[in-house]
Amino acid sequence: MRQLFAPGADAVLRLALLTVSVGAILLLVVVGAVANSDYISGVGIAPRQPVPFSHKHHSGELGIDCRYCHTSVEVAATAGMPPTHTCMTCHSQIWTGAPMLAPVRDSLANDDPLHWTRVNHIPSYVYFNHSVHVTKGIGCSSCHGAMDHMQMTLRVQSFHMEFCLQCHRHPEEHVRTPDQVWNMDWGAPPDQAVRGPALVAKYHIRNAAQLTDCSICHR
Amino acid sequence: MPSGASETVSPFLGAGQTYDSIGSTLAGIPLSARGWSRWWIAMAAAVALTGVLVVSLGVLFYEGVAIWGNNIPVTWALDIVSYDWWIGIACGGLLVSGVFLLLDVAWRSALNRISETMALLAAAAAAVYPIIHLGRPWFFYWNLPYPNSFALWPQFRSPLFWDAFDILSFLGLAAGVFYVGLLPDLATLRDRAWERSKDDGRPDGIDWPLLRAQLYGIAALGWRGSAVHWHRWVQAYRTLALLGVVTVVALQVGASVMFAGTSEPGWHDTLLPVTYLAGAVLSGVGMLCVLTVVLRHAFHLETLITERHVQRLALVLLGLALVNIYCETTTGFVGALSGDSFEHAAQLRRVAGPAAWSFWMLVTAGLLPPLLFAIPRLRASPAVLAWVGGAAAAGIWGDHYALIVGSLQHDFLPSAAHGSRITVFEWSTFAGSAGLFLLLLLLFLRALPIVSMMESRQLATRTGAGPEPARPGAGHRAPIWGVAAEFATEADMAYAAASLRSGCRLRVDAYSPVPSPTTAAALGLHSHSIRGFALGGFVLGAGGTFGVCTYATVHDYVFNIGGRPDFSWQSFVVPSLSFGSLVAGMGVVGAMLVFNRLPRLNHPAFNIPGIARASADRFFVAAHGMGEEFDLKPAETILSALPALSVHQVPR
Repeated sequence: MRQLFAPGADAVLRLALLTVSVGAILLLVVVGAVANSDYISGVGIAPRQPVPFSHKHHSGELGIDCRYCHTSVEVAATAGMPPTHTCMTCHSQIWTGAPMLAPVRDSLANDDPLHWTRVNHIPSYVYFNHSVHVTKGIGCSSCHGAMDHMQMTLRVQSFHMEFCLQCHRHPEEHVRTPDQVWNMDWGAPPDQAVRGPALVAKYHIRNAAQLTDCSICHR
Repeated sequence: MPSGASETVSPFLGAGQTYDSIGSTLAGIPLSARGWSRWWIAMAAAVALTGVLVVSLGVLFYEGVAIWGNNIPVTWALDIVSYDWWIGIACGGLLVSGVFLLLDVAWRSALNRISETMALLAAAAAAVYPIIHLGRPWFFYWNLPYPNSFALWPQFRSPLFWDAFDILSFLGLAAGVFYVGLLPDLATLRDRAWERSKDDGRPDGIDWPLLRAQLYGIAALGWRGSAVHWHRWVQAYRTLALLGVVTVVALQVGASVMFAGTSEPGWHDTLLPVTYLAGAVLSGVGMLCVLTVVLRHAFHLETLITERHVQRLALVLLGLALVNIYCETTTGFVGALSGDSFEHAAQLRRVAGPAAWSFWMLVTAGLLPPLLFAIPRLRASPAVLAWVGGAAAAGIWGDHYALIVGSLQHDFLPSAAHGSRITVFEWSTFAGSAGLFLLLLLLFLRALPIVSMMESRQLATRTGAGPEPARPGAGHRAPIWGVAAEFATEADMAYAAASLRSGCRLRVDAYSPVPSPTTAAALGLHSHSIRGFALGGFVLGAGGTFGVCTYATVHDYVFNIGGRPDFSWQSFVVPSLSFGSLVAGMGVVGAMLVFNRLPRLNHPAFNIPGIARASADRFFVAAHGMGEEFDLKPAETILSALPALSVHQVPR
């Protein structure tokens, strides 16, 4: 006697159910992976700049201090981008005819600042102050990576909120002595578990409950 | 599930109703192609209203929530009023259906499908709001705990979070109750649609009638009314009903503690969760009355939804109105005694403030009209029931407006006194949500039975002149699966099952249109229970939710919120209850399907001649062997001695 469904119908139905459920899970996984990928957050991608400025050459090989260009990093919210005059302290003397530096010379001649493409970006609803971080023992490399090894400037952190919070919840794991703040190769010393809390106390860094208040960053 | 062998006809069924006539009446509605002109008119209106919703939402997403009357301090206006109203109706529907099922109330049979459908569809209409009332609706998933790059958790100590879990669990359980209750009816529709498709002859192109039968068949998951299936189905359905009741209470508590937990004058009230639940059930039953009377009239179901049903509904409405009057009066009384000037001011504004119209709407439409049913004569009138039910539902809408908007218009500070106007877009969104409800309801009416056939059959007599038992087909050469016998009564089926079980070494199963406890007992099924899976699921879901809440607030996301202790375990109880219920529901439905080996579209039992009537009015018993070598002789001998209508060998 004929049935409403052929014997193979069950296999088809089960395959369809399996496909739909696996597909739904796969879709969530793929969407989550793409949303958190470096492609979306821009980590590791060096954008095109008007002049191919190399931190590796200037900071790493020549040993120019960070603060030579980023002058306000210890006293203001922004680290400060150098005016063309800063470039010209050297480049009015060396590599004066280099074609690569033509935009710098044009900038000075036309009184028009260089239009750098921003690499590290945090949203406008986040209040971030460079000075409080570097004067209380948080080094440049904690957020910016080893700049002195970067030929072209790229972003090493996604600056997702979890990145900020992992330090605000446990500042003692990241805090350095003042002389190490500018060390691009800093790693936590073996006795950080002892040093960290002592430094936190010395810097008067607040406890995690206060550091993770919404209003610390979202004012 | 009362379904003994007694022949008495229930008072909740019109005269002369049989298994077959119930099936013909109810399955005939969606399967019939004629008589749908009024449906199309209603459909046009529903589509137009749903269009209004789509346009309103389009403008909302483009312009933002400023097109609504929400402001500071009236941060919640018609959006939350409408949401609470729809979800209240949904809760009322599920609660009534669940409680009456658990109490074995006979007259629920005709109403549970309408009630459960209303619960599901009202929840769908409510589900529009939580997402669209957000300032940035595309981030709705931030309300849920998921692996995120903020290193944050939802604030588990807030009733706002309870609501996110409660509505998810409610949607899941309402869908579960609806669908599990529908399974046997879908099998009836499948069998009847298939019969009809055979009558229509073979068309050249796509065989639409056959396709329709197959769609019903897939939806029925291969339900074949087996005694083993029924046994687990009854357990699953009743367990779901209980879980639904738990979730309804959790949801209404969550929705009301969102208000009662604040210090807002007019909200800060310990009785509010009870008032809220009572209002929800009143609005749900009110809406149920409207739908019942309208559908009864539109589809001429007077024999299935009798005057006694109308009377019972009127009594329930009366009782619920009294409960609500008690709650409202007590709230006023306690507030008056509170000695708090802000509370006094809030109460004064409630009866004479700018939103006082909504309070008087509650009194005049919601609380007083059901008192009419104290007069017995009025209880018998379907028209009065529909009007009073509709008024009660509308009155509860007024209650939500008075509570939410009325209270928010003025709190402690003079500067926080600000009126609120309902804008066109708030009305259009609300009308649109009603359009969505109507659209889904009409689609349901077109495809599925309005009254549960299986439930109604339990009240009916089996007798009814049906077609003759099937004759054996011409000698088939296929391998033999087993032997089957067709019986006219449940008692014969149960006796045959018992005889076969003790008299032969084959596997015995029975197939019937209603659950048969006697057959289940004869087959020794009573010791088999899947309720443990519900319990396991509940422990897993509730324990998991409680554990996650505790881990997050005590360890991973320590955060001072209103000075509450980190381990605010009281706050974790409601979401744990509701999510535990959802996982328990998934557990028991999953166990029912897995142990019943469903879905199974093609099965040797479908080869039993005339088996389609196992979903209508006949009772079958089958004995089949496992493997290649088995002896059918003893089984055939046993069956031949019984008053079977027919005995057949069944091919595999």
